[in-house]
This record gives sequence, C-alpha cells and structure tokens, in this order.
Amino acid sequence: MGIPYTWEEGLIILGFVCILLVIVIVISIYKKLHIGKEFTYAIAKGGGQLFLIAIFLTFLFSYDYWFLLIWVLLGTMILVSGYTSAKRATGMPKAYQVTTPSILAGASLALLVLVTSRAMPLEPQFIIPLSGMAFGNSMAICSISMERLTREIQLNKKSIETMLSLGATSKQSMEMYGRFSIRAALIPTIDRLKTLGVIFIPGAMAGLLMAGTNPILAAEYQIIVYLMIVGGGIITSMLTVYFSRKKIFTDLDQLAEWL
Amino acid sequence: MNILKIKHLSKTLQQTPILTNINLTVKKGEILTIVGPSGSGKSTLLRCMNRLIEPDFGTIVFKNMVYQNIPITELRKKIILVLQESIMLPGTIQDNIQFGLRVHQLEGQVDIKRSLHDAGLPASMLLKNAEQLSGGEKKRVSLARALCLQPDILLLDEPTSGVDPKNIEKVEQNICSFAKKRALTIVWVTHNIDQAKRVSHRIANLKEGSITTVQHASDFEWEVAY
Repeated sequence: MGIPYTWEEGLIILGFVCILLVIVIVISIYKKLHIGKEFTYAIAKGGGQLFLIAIFLTFLFSYDYWFLLIWVLLGTMILVSGYTSAKRATGMPKAYQVTTPSILAGASLALLVLVTSRAMPLEPQFIIPLSGMAFGNSMAICSISMERLTREIQLNKKSIETMLSLGATSKQSMEMYGRFSIRAALIPTIDRLKTLGVIFIPGAMAGLLMAGTNPILAAEYQIIVYLMIVGGGIITSMLTVYFSRKKIFTDLDQLAEWL
Repeated sequence: MNILKIKHLSKTLQQTPILTNINLTVKKGEILTIVGPSGSGKSTLLRCMNRLIEPDFGTIVFKNMVYQNIPITELRKKIILVLQESIMLPGTIQDNIQFGLRVHQLEGQVDIKRSLHDAGLPASMLLKNAEQLSGGEKKRVSLARALCLQPDILLLDEPTSGVDPKNIEKVEQNICSFAKKRALTIVWVTHNIDQAKRVSHRIANLKEGSITTVQHASDFEWEVAY
C-alpha cells in the first residue's frame, strides 16, 4: 500500500489542494484579518524548505556514504535548535551555551536508547526523521524551560537574594524555580500523551498508517516516539536549568548583573 | 575590638559610582547605624558587606580575615543581611525559620522558639502561613530567621520600613534587646536620624556614596546629617 500516486501526480494534487490557501486569503481579505500575506509567505517558506530537504533526502537515501553526510544534517539540526531556543532567554548573555549542549545531550541520549533497543535501525530513513523529532521536541521543551526559568528568576529576584543572604547556595536558591521550569516545559507533552488517539492520531502513527503499516505496529512506534520525546525532554530541561545556573549566578553565588 | 574593617571600598553600578572610597570599622558588640538619604549607597554598602555584590575596589576584613579567604556560605552565616523588603518564603513561619537551619545543616540544634521570641513574636504563631502576616510581623520573622543562625554581625536594611508607626519603637526595642542579650554586632541602615540616635552607639553619615563622619550617637549633630 502507501500513497497511491507518483510524485509528479502529487504535484498536480497539491496544486488542487491549494484551493484551501485561496480560501484562507479570501476569508482574510473579506474579514480584514490581515493574515493572508503572512500565511502565504509561511506556506511558501515552509513548503520550500520541505522540498529542499526532500531533494536532499532523495540524494542521501541513494548515496553510499550517507553515514558521513548525515552528520552535516545532524550538526545543522543541533546548531539551529540551540540558537532558536536561546532567543527565549531574555537578556541572558550567550544563552546558546546553555541551550545547545542541553538539547544535544537530551536528544542524543533518547536516540541512543532507540538505537540500542533496535527501535531505530541505523538507516537514513529512520535516523533523519527520528532525529528531527528528537531535536525538534527537545528544542521546544528547552525553549519553554528557558523562558519560564528566566521569567521566574526575574520575578523572584528578591526572594532569591533573601535565600542567598542567609547563606543558601545558588543551587538551593533556585531549586524551586528550576522545578517550576522543568514541570512547565513537560506539561504540554504529557497532556498530548494523555489525549493520544482520542483527539488526534499523531504524526508518526498517521505517517505509518498511510504507508500501510499494521495499525498495532504503528501505535507501538508512536509510543516509542513519545517516550523518546519525554525522556529526551526531561534530560534537556534538567540540563537547561543546570547550565543556566552558571549564567544566573556568579561563582560567588551572587545574582549576575544581566538580571 | 574591631570585628569588621572596610578599606577603600568603591562600587559602580550601571556606570554610576554608588560608593567611593569607603573606610569604616565596626566594633564588636556595637550597634552602628549608617544614615543617609535615599540613593546615598546605604543598601549597596550592606550588600557588599554580605557579599551579595562584589565591590570594584577595596577590601573587607572580618575578624582579621579578608573576605576572599572566607567561604561564601560561611561568611553569609556569620554576617547576615536582613533585606529591606521582608520576603517570606513559601510555607509557615516555622518553614521560613528552618530554611536557614536546613541550609547550614543545623536542624534540631537550635531553639527556634527563642529566636522567634527575641524577634518579638509568640511561639504560638509558628504554624501560621507566612504570606498572610502583616508588614511588622514579616519583619520580625525576617529577624528571627536571621537570629536562629546565631550570626556574629546582623546587617539590617531599614528594619522598620513598612512597620506601622505605633510598632516602630517596639521593633527597635526588640532589636536593641536581643543585640544586648546575645552580644550581637549590628550594622543598621536608616534614613531616620532620630531612630539612629535612639538605637545606636555610633552613627556613620553617608553622603553621595562617601562616609563624611562617624560619631558617637550622643555627639551626632543634625547639622552634619546627610
């Protein structure tokens, strides 16, 4: 089974489905929503990016030395996710030094479990999408964690200084806010987990079903994917809090000046 | 005997000089008040003394040891700063008082009721939610929180701010009384000259980031204030 047409036919079908884009633009103009231009740009940009990666993957899947080239892709994923997430740490200098290693470690560890358990065969058609999911979700979790942590610290500076003035270490002073941050970062993923299969069929399972995989196997794989996301996410989030401490406090357990 | 010596201390914050060449000694067991108008650098000086911030120049010596040679946690146990705003940590009064004890692994070794009593609160309040206390009560909890760690020096930043006028003298009396009972050294920051004269042995006048005079409280004249 699988998608029952070729990619050339798919282009014509895609063109037809673009009627939905026209609907968005018409409604936007009619209702003065001012989202038509942005939506068109977003779909063109996102679609363009997808086609580029698709061309790259077509090449990669047939390339004998894919295992060398894949590192370029993985490296790009890590750097882009690190820099994107760093933008969430309002005012923190060189925040990418916190986000990049946190995402790298969290996602890598989750992927390692998938490799050792044979859930992820070492083939590019598995490595690339699963790595994308691991890094992408770790990035999202890192961003929430970073945003929440810096906000909590900025809002509770006086409380933290009160603890420091009594001799608490930086670790003790920010323990509570670190916990808030980790929890806040994981709640959306956990909530999604609870509604799996009830409100929506998630991406991996939907893709596998469309490719003709046995629904039970597709469900198993989807659960594996979510465990990878949550497992990698909690490590990412914990490391984000840990590395942030070095930016939030000086070596003498004083609040850093940027706060 | 001098317990604390500040030598040539300067601090600039956001490119504005806050403290310039501060020289000050604190004698063991005395209450030294630092008076000065808002923005004169009083709180910044206390923060330097608790090492919550680092001076740009100068040294502070505590019991003949320069600050740099004292582990930070140890220093902040010996020289505790009670901040102007009494921030309560989540939980009860007991949780607040036990926080410092937990940090220094002193749980069960200190009579927290005595500290609470010295700060002017009855032991029956221990299990009250700290967030729901009045400004004056929070102030007292902050004092008790510091006292139970048995510091050598207590740094008080405007300890009666936010306390209703009829209770100000009570808080002052509490502080003077426990200072005497515990032979505690206190550095007390205030902008209230009358209060400074009431509570202290010596008064240091801080003006635009510099100490202009240090006098015995009885000799301190209004003319030199600020």
